[in-house]
Amino acid sequence: MRKIVKVARREFLDTVKTRTFLLSLLLIPVLVVGIIFLSKKMVQSEGGPRPAIRIGVTSPSDELFKRIASAFEGHNKSHSQSPLVLQSLSVGSEEQGKEKLRRDTLDAYVVLEGDLEGKEGTVQFYTYKPKASQIDAIWSVERLFRDAVVNRRCEARGIDRAMLAEIQSVPIRRVELGDEQGREKVQSEGQRVARMMVPFAFMYLIFIGIVGMGQHMISSIIEEKNSRIIEMLLSAVSPFELMAGKILGLAGVGLTVMILWGAAAYGAAVWRGINIDIGLDLVAYGLVYYVLGFVLFSAILAGVGSVCNTIKETQSLMMPITLIFVVPLIAWPQLARDPNGDLARVLSYIPPTTPMLMVLRLASSPDIWWGEIVLSILVLVVGVFVTIWAAAKVFRTGILLYGKRPGPREIVRWLREK
Amino acid sequence: MYAIELQDVRKSFGPVRAVDALSIRVPQGAVYGFLGPNGAGKTTTLRMVMDIIRPDSGEIRMFNEPASATVRGRVGYMPEERGLYRKMTVASVLRYFGSLRGMTADQLGQRVPAWLERIDLAGHATKKVEELSRGMHQKLQFAVTVIHDPDLVILDEPFSGLDPVNQDVLRDIIDAMRREGRTVLFSTHGMHEAEQLCDFIVLIDKGKVVVDGTLDQIRAGHEARTVSIELEGDAGFVERLPQIAAVRHDGRRIDVTLREGADPQDLLRTLVERARVRVFEIRQPSLHEIFVRLVGDNHAEDR
Repeated sequence: MRKIVKVARREFLDTVKTRTFLLSLLLIPVLVVGIIFLSKKMVQSEGGPRPAIRIGVTSPSDELFKRIASAFEGHNKSHSQSPLVLQSLSVGSEEQGKEKLRRDTLDAYVVLEGDLEGKEGTVQFYTYKPKASQIDAIWSVERLFRDAVVNRRCEARGIDRAMLAEIQSVPIRRVELGDEQGREKVQSEGQRVARMMVPFAFMYLIFIGIVGMGQHMISSIIEEKNSRIIEMLLSAVSPFELMAGKILGLAGVGLTVMILWGAAAYGAAVWRGINIDIGLDLVAYGLVYYVLGFVLFSAILAGVGSVCNTIKETQSLMMPITLIFVVPLIAWPQLARDPNGDLARVLSYIPPTTPMLMVLRLASSPDIWWGEIVLSILVLVVGVFVTIWAAAKVFRTGILLYGKRPGPREIVRWLREK
Repeated sequence: MYAIELQDVRKSFGPVRAVDALSIRVPQGAVYGFLGPNGAGKTTTLRMVMDIIRPDSGEIRMFNEPASATVRGRVGYMPEERGLYRKMTVASVLRYFGSLRGMTADQLGQRVPAWLERIDLAGHATKKVEELSRGMHQKLQFAVTVIHDPDLVILDEPFSGLDPVNQDVLRDIIDAMRREGRTVLFSTHGMHEAEQLCDFIVLIDKGKVVVDGTLDQIRAGHEARTVSIELEGDAGFVERLPQIAAVRHDGRRIDVTLREGADPQDLLRTLVERARVRVFEIRQPSLHEIFVRLVGDNHAEDR
């Protein structure tokens, strides 16, 4: 055990000191913040001036056309960066309008059909190979047409538009009660999103922590193999001690990263005024599941790394393994809708996906039966032991092999050796 | 008392028998040479002694105890495939391997500087291993092997890849170890080092012991068959003598190889009868010759 700790200590210090580690430690939060910041920016501002969007309109009713024209004017006043150009085409010249679309002298062609001022009638919206940059703008034009038609209908029926707006306006406030009397707070939109995203964020953190940290295991083993240190080490420690030390050391690295990222995310949320209620029990469970999941994954990688000679070789072997860990991410929409459904339950008891699933479920619905937690941890622990047992056997023999990678049949033979 | 005892040790890799019923005893305090052609099973045997791979059957004992992790703490092992952490500093590599073998901080504080001094690397203690020259790297490797003051040192092909200066350094260190009463076991296919350094020699081939004993014992088992002679006058008759198998002229000298069973004394008598003998020297067979005789010429590999 003393030797395992010594190996772990060196592994930890050596990994933490590498440049790639520091980069990955900083890069991912920077990337996440960057994406959030940019996407917000894009939604808020319209960006620079855009070329005018040309819209042809054929309207059987002049009154309606006037309404549309004034709606367009209003739009151009408030959105000077993305102007709209209106062009009137007489009834019966629909084919010409479509031709203009095709020749790219119009970006959209709108035909008002039937009695739109009454009940019947439709607004036909034609486009021809719409440019990606215009799609959102063209859809916003739809709203202008709808408003114009509604206004016109109100007028025709003698309904006051302002009154209609009053009737339709029903303000709703979402208020959440605190535990104590008098503690209630209004939920902002951001908070609702955060509430939805926290379980996912937790799961994702576990995923990155497990799969991302795995890279260090692979590179550490390959480096020791390539620089022929392995046999020197094996004269001082047993293969199992070496492997266990590596796993332990890198688990320490992973935990450090998790805690730093978690603290940073929590800090950012508090700073932005988003209140996230994270129970201490969730954090504790998260750490337990994370450590077990990490040990499982890195034991697999230790086995894989030991039979390979180059990082490149490991990648083809890692693909299918990593894929299993990606399953919860792909299935997230389904899992988020029903965190205690059949799919979630099944994935909770498959050791590689257990940590991510259980953390997701614990974060989204805290009232999971305690038996499920105990059982999932038990399954995971059994999985970890079986994996370590197998990995240690492969590691023991594989670590000394150079040259050709052993085939599956040979590896099975190693597993049978006592 | 034996430092290492192997009893009927076997190991196969798939269909290949790497080590076949090998029994070896390495006496304590001796320098023991482990010889054999490439693929004879030397590295496999040493790895089994170090418990890096496990034998299929047989028993390995060290210092009269079944080999265990504790006993292995008294062993320093330098494998044939050797390297060090390139990013660590010279002193920290020594400290790391020392502490893995159970040295305390106090011991490390004494022994690390002492060894750096001994191998002339004191001025490089804080340099990274990758900054060292190849020769320094080799010396550091050896220091790493013996940093914990082992009673038994096992070296797998220690001379291969060493420059002449470092070969001398290593020879001196092995000699010093012998004087300090430590046991040294090293494998080599260089006969020269074995002849110079070893008290005992075992020659293995195809995983089996071919010959085992002290240098004198091994030589005694192989009577001299080469005689170097120098005669006055015409020596042409020598080739036609019945005792002679082959003749090689070397200036005025003639190196003759005797037929199997021929007595050198008998040859001398014949020569004295027919000419004046200036030189008559019975050559001790070199280890190289014995080696070649035993495992065949195609295997011989002497540098």
